[in-house]
Amino acid sequence: MSALLQLTNVNRSFGGVHAVDNVSVEIEEGTIFGLIGPNGAGKTTLVNLVTGYIRPQSGSIKLLSPPPPASEKGSNSPPPLAGEGRVGAAVELARRPPHAVAGMGIARTFQTLRLYRNLTALENVLAGMHLRRRDDTLQQLIPIPAFLKEDRRRWQHARELLARVGLDPDKFGNRQAATLSYGDQRRLEVARALALNPHLLILDEPAAGMNPAEKDRVRALIQQLNQDGLTVLLIDHDMRLVMGVCRHIAVLNFGRKIADGPPATVSQDPAVITAYLGSQAQKTAAHVPGSEEMDVAATSTAVSAEPTSPLLEVRDLQVSYGAIQAVRGVSFGVAKGEIVALIGANGAGKSTILNSLSGVLRPHSGVARFGELDLTTAPPDRIVSQGLIQVPEGREILARLTVRENLELGAWGRSNGRSAHRDIEGLMKQFPILGQRRDLPAGQLSGGEQQILAIARGLLAQPKLLLLDEPSLGLAPQMVDTVFDVIKKIHNDGVTILLVEQNALRALEIADRAYVVETGRILLSGTGAALRRNPEVQKAYLGG
Amino acid sequence: MDFFIQLFTDPVGFYNQHELLIAQIGINAILAISIFVTFYSGQLTLANAGFMAIGAYTTVIMSLYLPTPLPVDMLVGALLAAAIGFLVGLPVLRLRGVFLAIATIGFVEALRLGVILNLPITGEGQGLKNPSADPLGGIVPILISVPILTYLVWRLTHTRLGQAWAAIREDELAASSNGINVPAYKMVAFVISALVAGYAGALETHINFFVDPTEYSVTRTIQILTFAVVGGTTNVIGPIVGAVFLTALPEIVRQFAAYRDVVNGIILILVIIFRPQGIVGRGGLAIIAPRWWTRWRTRERAAAAH
Ligand SMILES: Nc1ncnc2c1ncn2[C@@H]1O[C@H](COP(=O)(O)OP(=O)(O)OP(=O)(O)O)[C@@H](O)[C@H]1O
Ligand SMILES: [Mg+2]
Repeated sequence: MSALLQLTNVNRSFGGVHAVDNVSVEIEEGTIFGLIGPNGAGKTTLVNLVTGYIRPQSGSIKLLSPPPPASEKGSNSPPPLAGEGRVGAAVELARRPPHAVAGMGIARTFQTLRLYRNLTALENVLAGMHLRRRDDTLQQLIPIPAFLKEDRRRWQHARELLARVGLDPDKFGNRQAATLSYGDQRRLEVARALALNPHLLILDEPAAGMNPAEKDRVRALIQQLNQDGLTVLLIDHDMRLVMGVCRHIAVLNFGRKIADGPPATVSQDPAVITAYLGSQAQKTAAHVPGSEEMDVAATSTAVSAEPTSPLLEVRDLQVSYGAIQAVRGVSFGVAKGEIVALIGANGAGKSTILNSLSGVLRPHSGVARFGELDLTTAPPDRIVSQGLIQVPEGREILARLTVRENLELGAWGRSNGRSAHRDIEGLMKQFPILGQRRDLPAGQLSGGEQQILAIARGLLAQPKLLLLDEPSLGLAPQMVDTVFDVIKKIHNDGVTILLVEQNALRALEIADRAYVVETGRILLSGTGAALRRNPEVQKAYLGG
Repeated sequence: MDFFIQLFTDPVGFYNQHELLIAQIGINAILAISIFVTFYSGQLTLANAGFMAIGAYTTVIMSLYLPTPLPVDMLVGALLAAAIGFLVGLPVLRLRGVFLAIATIGFVEALRLGVILNLPITGEGQGLKNPSADPLGGIVPILISVPILTYLVWRLTHTRLGQAWAAIREDELAASSNGINVPAYKMVAFVISALVAGYAGALETHINFFVDPTEYSVTRTIQILTFAVVGGTTNVIGPIVGAVFLTALPEIVRQFAAYRDVVNGIILILVIIFRPQGIVGRGGLAIIAPRWWTRWRTRERAAAAH
């Protein structure tokens, strides 16, 4: 096998931060190449360098076997195989604009989703076919059936691509992209990238926000695509996925490559373990469902039933988006001092439940009370001032303000400025990556750094009840450990927590009680330990 | 009310009596199409009045000094507007959002105050008499052009080009990852918009005896912008509906004619508050349905389902 993409001594720094520091890697044609490393290590920056979004300050990025130009006829045939149509000459990608790089057959997805939010799912995929389509604009001005036949064929192909990534075209095809659940939006990004009919597919955290069972489906998809001849560059923090699917892995840390090799070697490398994997990830990587049954049994505490006088009470909650009913009569309670988790597949309605508690969405019927406050009618600012704080899914930080300003806004409602200041300093110590970047606009942080910032901002508001939506989203394994430690700590300080988490194993570990949500209803409930032993839960959410 | 009664009972009489109004509606509809094209590609450009001026002055100057037939003059006017659109677009289209809007306004004013008011050939701000004006005949090409342009631009939004514009409007970075050459497609939209605006300017000289530089100021551009905002920009029908509605309104309600700008302003505010997507939303002609109305409807439906 020969190399397809070759990076030699690539450098890029932003101000004082060496985001990519003298990195050389070689990606073989036909392989699945993994790129891992702590948050802010430079993985996304590397992808941006390859795809032309930012320019390297030095070094070269070569595409060694440029594919023949994309064309209409290629739309149904598989991508060109190795050796076919080889031009021989290497093409330098550095300093080419992104659309030209796409034209060389390199497709990518974005870690922080970048869908065409107001277009439908199908329209998103159709836009992705841009390069494969002959420029027939003038013909299309006169809609003769013969020309429209092409149109229909493209629609059909777009539907197939949706089905391929696991989105039912009948159900989702005409939905506006913005209304899809987070995981489904990720799937749509992959479908849109595939529409380019690429040679090399770069996936930046395609499985973020999915539970282990759904991640297994992503893994099957990646393997399938690879068998069909696609070279894949995969970035993800889920070690089961990365170790399971990649044939070669490179590890970045502070912009430098610290390891490079097959998964077995890399996962044993002590430098990688200290910098990235941490103890927990090794456990997750090796995790076999059911194997921890014994220690679960030992640690399981007395069964805690539904609280009688809950701090948060939800009864028969119903929420719709237009004609689509996302939450269909959900009832549960959270007692003071508890950690309660909601788990379930993508699109089950978990985020919708949280959003309708924090006043972002309005339920159309049902009861939601937080102490004395009626959450179905209270304005969001009042909900916040009463101590119900939400950390939303997908890092909704204020991109133009600096890290520090974002944190200060988190402490906005607090009367005691000095203690707020102390807490900000404390958090910056706890999460050094925030402290080091305190004056950087938050939009320039890496995906994981933004997630940490969003959590830290939520903590600063001194919540009584904290709603956490996917706190581990996009976090490196070690960072997940840190965040869960922080959750345990604030819980010990007396904060009540309602947690939505795709990393169901971790969530059930720390939760007193949990509810399984499916298609807008509660299917199961019980203590965290009990649910962890439930074979159905294991099969559906813990990954088998 | 008389206005509508006559429209339906005596269309011929209505046409004869309101010919100028109908012509003006047509011109404004074409201008609405012009601004729609840039809106559709996600660019807030306000240069339309400037391109109109280029189309108008070119046509009149050519019929004053050259023996060419009028259609040629008009064609040259529109093409010159497109060519200048290309030159202006080179530096200006690198800007985004408000900055782009301000730069294009700057172009309109620079053209009017800097060029038109100073060149002897344009009458140095005194305006120009149009020798070939023909208000009654001039309405015919307008009425033919409106449906043709509407149809072409409507089809255009469904082509590869139109899809690329929509993608750019939604997310430029994502669009370039799909291989869409963002600067080039933005330029195409800007030039087409300039071409259409120049054509509208050329058509307008036909129904006026006089070309007046004050016609082509920022006020005109803002008026064109309100067509788009009031009508909605999800499809080409929106701005046209906005243009027809806002141009006809002072005639329908004669009492308001004197307060035309005030009424337009109020309508603009009401639309922005109650129907930010414009009168014509996604999915065609929709009645005015503010957000609380849809919310109330879903609640009713859910209650019925129980
Ligand atoms: N435009 C920019 N300006 C300044 N700093 C930047 C910019 N883009 C990235 N950085 C910094 O470069 C570093 C690398 O960021 P990058 O997004 O590549 O990390 P990553 O490895 O993808 O991390 P994650 O796993 O969290 O997604 C980060 O510390 C980030 O703050
Ligand atoms: Mg990243």
